[in-house]
Amino acid sequence: MTEKLFSPVDYAVPFFILLVILEMLWVRRNAPEKYEPRDTLTSLALGTGSTVAGALFGGTMFAIAMWGYGFRITTIPWTWWAWIACFVLDDFFYYVFHRSAHRVRWFWAAHVNHHSSQHYNLSTALRQTWTGFFAFTFLFRLPLVFIGFHPAMILFVGAINLIYQFWIHTEAIYKFPRWFEFIMNTPSHHRVHHATNPRYLDRNYAGVFIIWDRMLGTFTEEVEGEKIRYGIVKQLGTFNLLWSVFHEWVGIARDIWSAPWKHKLSYAWRPPGWSHDNSRDTSDTIRQRWLDRQTQQPAE
Amino acid sequence: MTPAVVEILKLAGSVAAILFLAWFARKLGLGGDVRIRSEEQARAIADEIICGFDPVDIAIDKAGIGALMRDAQGRHLLVRRHGAHFAGRLLDNHSETRLDQNFLTVGTGERTFGRVTLNLGKEAQYWASGLRHLRT
Repeated sequence: MTEKLFSPVDYAVPFFILLVILEMLWVRRNAPEKYEPRDTLTSLALGTGSTVAGALFGGTMFAIAMWGYGFRITTIPWTWWAWIACFVLDDFFYYVFHRSAHRVRWFWAAHVNHHSSQHYNLSTALRQTWTGFFAFTFLFRLPLVFIGFHPAMILFVGAINLIYQFWIHTEAIYKFPRWFEFIMNTPSHHRVHHATNPRYLDRNYAGVFIIWDRMLGTFTEEVEGEKIRYGIVKQLGTFNLLWSVFHEWVGIARDIWSAPWKHKLSYAWRPPGWSHDNSRDTSDTIRQRWLDRQTQQPAE
Repeated sequence: MTPAVVEILKLAGSVAAILFLAWFARKLGLGGDVRIRSEEQARAIADEIICGFDPVDIAIDKAGIGALMRDAQGRHLLVRRHGAHFAGRLLDNHSETRLDQNFLTVGTGERTFGRVTLNLGKEAQYWASGLRHLRT
């Protein structure tokens, strides 16, 4: 049974390319600055590199999942409801992973390259990590294995989740009907997630269902008329591919090297931007400073 | 075909596709020639780069490709174009400064960010002096 499962992403790639072309044509008519050829090249190279990393480390990750499957508490059958349950639960654990990826610097180091473009278009969706294996991101799916879902099923629904997230990386769509925006992750919700505007920092972690953010207090609605700025708090300022991949890992290494002994590990597990002497900004301190200014300034 | 050959072919296809898309984006003329055209715009960019950075002194490059700004605390912010957007760095006393008449070259010490040469006209000397006296 498991050997017959195909890779949905392989079949989706031609559609990804077609949609990127269509979006480029739309952008040329409406706002040419929404694409930048060098940024696009970096994003797509990151995507290709991530598939190579997946090929290199995927076998090891699957072997670990199969090992964990030996300790499952029950065996979930290969029936229609199991696929639905697996998809929904996998999306919940994706939320947990994604939230951790923004709040723990070690995980952020692997995830940051998805956010380091100052553009937000369909090519941004393909900026995927090369170093997820070293950040142990696959561990976040292990609870599903222990519950009793087969690793091949988890891998398949995870790929569907990834494909869903492709089309929401666009400014070509504003908002959907309210019922859809209430349940599903949409371009509007995900624009908020990629924004560096203080009000939007570390919000909307959802993969497919935005309800997780609504339930767990991390949801923020896109405010009409407020210009969104994309990227990361300290913009890279370069299109260098290797720096895009490794800059946060290099930053962690430098900080751990130079920090006092009792603070060394904190530079790996505390939030991005944390420093032992409070000389840097985290998303929380930036948001607080912005909120303070809002209360001090009279409404315009 | 063996699985390894299939993977190599897929990789080759991906590389061909990304090169095509990057070429297509360039062919369509996508991107933008962004410039800093006013102090108001420079202030907005500064606030985007460092939330709450409120410049009291601003020098914009004659062509609008970058700017230097100083706030009331004496912090200096260097801004330059990055593709169709702007990026910036706070400068410190390790920053490299080189003055050549109206042109001021500023290096952040960050190799990937690079050096920026700004045409600041007669203000170049004033800003060069300010940068050389940064305390931290």
